[in-house]
Amino acid sequence: MSEMKPKERVVKLFKKEPIDVMPVFSGQGMVLIQAIQEMGIRFPQVHASAEYLAGSAIKTAEMFGFDALIIPYDMCTIPEAMGRGISLYEKSEEILYPTVPYKWDSLDDVKIPDDILERGRMPLVDEAIKIAKAYGDGKYAIGGWLLGPFTMAGQVYELDLLLKGLKKDKDRIEAFLSDMTDLVIKVAQHYEELGVDYISIREMGSGSDLISPRMWKTLIQPNLTKIFDSLKGPTVNHICGSTDLIVEMMNECGADAISVDHKNTIAETRRKIGNDVLLFGYFNPYDTLVTGDVADVEPEIKKNIDDGVDAVWPGCDLWPDVKRENVEVYVRTIREYGKKPSPAVGRLQ
Amino acid sequence: MDDVRKKEILDKLAEAVVEYDEDLAKEWSQIALDEGLDAFEAIMNGLAAGMETVGDLYDKQEYFVPEMLMCADALYAGLDILRPHIKKEDQKKMGQVVIGTVQGDVHDIGKNIIKLMFDVGGFEVHDLGRDVPLEKFVEEQMKTDSEIVAMSAMMTTTMTGMKKVIEMIKEKNPNVAIMLGGAPVTQDVADLFGADGYAESAGNAVQEAIKMISQLRKLQEQG
Repeated sequence: MSEMKPKERVVKLFKKEPIDVMPVFSGQGMVLIQAIQEMGIRFPQVHASAEYLAGSAIKTAEMFGFDALIIPYDMCTIPEAMGRGISLYEKSEEILYPTVPYKWDSLDDVKIPDDILERGRMPLVDEAIKIAKAYGDGKYAIGGWLLGPFTMAGQVYELDLLLKGLKKDKDRIEAFLSDMTDLVIKVAQHYEELGVDYISIREMGSGSDLISPRMWKTLIQPNLTKIFDSLKGPTVNHICGSTDLIVEMMNECGADAISVDHKNTIAETRRKIGNDVLLFGYFNPYDTLVTGDVADVEPEIKKNIDDGVDAVWPGCDLWPDVKRENVEVYVRTIREYGKKPSPAVGRLQ
Repeated sequence: MDDVRKKEILDKLAEAVVEYDEDLAKEWSQIALDEGLDAFEAIMNGLAAGMETVGDLYDKQEYFVPEMLMCADALYAGLDILRPHIKKEDQKKMGQVVIGTVQGDVHDIGKNIIKLMFDVGGFEVHDLGRDVPLEKFVEEQMKTDSEIVAMSAMMTTTMTGMKKVIEMIKEKNPNVAIMLGGAPVTQDVADLFGADGYAESAGNAVQEAIKMISQLRKLQEQG
């Protein structure tokens, strides 16, 4: 049996075709500080350069043996293109992801520019995807991601007003979410045209920690379903936080895979959705790779696999300042323990 | 005022909070004042008691964060009317608190709910807002000599900033109590960073806030 190339491994996994071993990848940021340091740059510089964006993803994958390059890293590219600004924290000594400094506090002010794909850092992300795609003759799978419409709405409009509006101003909030849905579709289709190999939609603000399953069904599910119906795929429906009460509805949205984090009772989820559905998750990347003892990494990754995931995905972005040895054990354990078939994906004989 | 009427007013204030009815909260707060009900009692045994029920409803997964935020709005609507009328002897000096979300984090729901707890409890609150540079917490604590510094981070990526603030504050004044909150903060992380308390999420922040309100109410009942 010959070893598969990283991209082939990921592409076949999404097709539920037999692969040699479980791929090491995710739908969230996977840039690590060791790679950035080796490039001789600082974290805030990464976000404003296509070369650094792609280069740090490639360098990280090469250093640690990942199967995919994830672009972009931060969740502000679209809000920034909507005129909400960007805080890059260029002077901070901390590693800080960019944030959106100016949120609308009235729905009357919300405007989505027609030329959003040409604004802010959007062209830079396009360029980074092209660089990543061309690297190594297409060696790596390219993963794109976008916030889901509800989470995107919370990035550009004050979150407390959005949450209260779900109850108090339902019609206007529904119309706003519908506009956000069309925006997500427009950008995601653009990324598909650029040739990304899969797209993860991260509706991370919609778990049952925040809103009720009933609200999820009426206000979140229809919009996610519309998005997944509009994309060629493969697609991933990712939600972090409490998802036990909504995971079956997540599965009904039509994505090729669902992804959850450590708050999900994953073995129970596998039982609910059956063995034919691609299920990704669920370790806590901060606990496992940043603060945790290296000796605890292997049992954690093995437990993820034993609980029935088809790919071990971190529940969130890998936080850049990881312990190198923890990441090495995370990758090695997937490579060794992931040789056995997962519930939805077989292995080459 | 007889006990029956008093109970009716307190129940209405609690109901206004539970039903997140700001108008009702204002109406019955004014009635409480007009009929001579003690303002502090109306806050603690009316509005704050309603918030305890909200906590139970959250536990039962009947209420979620949108409902809680609206309940908090109703509580504030009543509090704004009642608070100026608290008698001097009831204005126990609860202390001062500096509160904010740390730099890199623009999520402030959990912070605002914890702030509500301090407002109800009679603290003087210095709210620094969100995305606050780390040194600003230290400066504000020193300027105000606050007994408590409460910091919130919803994103894992901003959490480690808290550790630096704690170190800076504790170095200058070891007696300051530090409270941490936010989705990625666990008891282990709070311990690791040297904090004195934590709340896990916006929902947990409400639970923590309600627990503290309950404690205050018990203390008040004990005289």
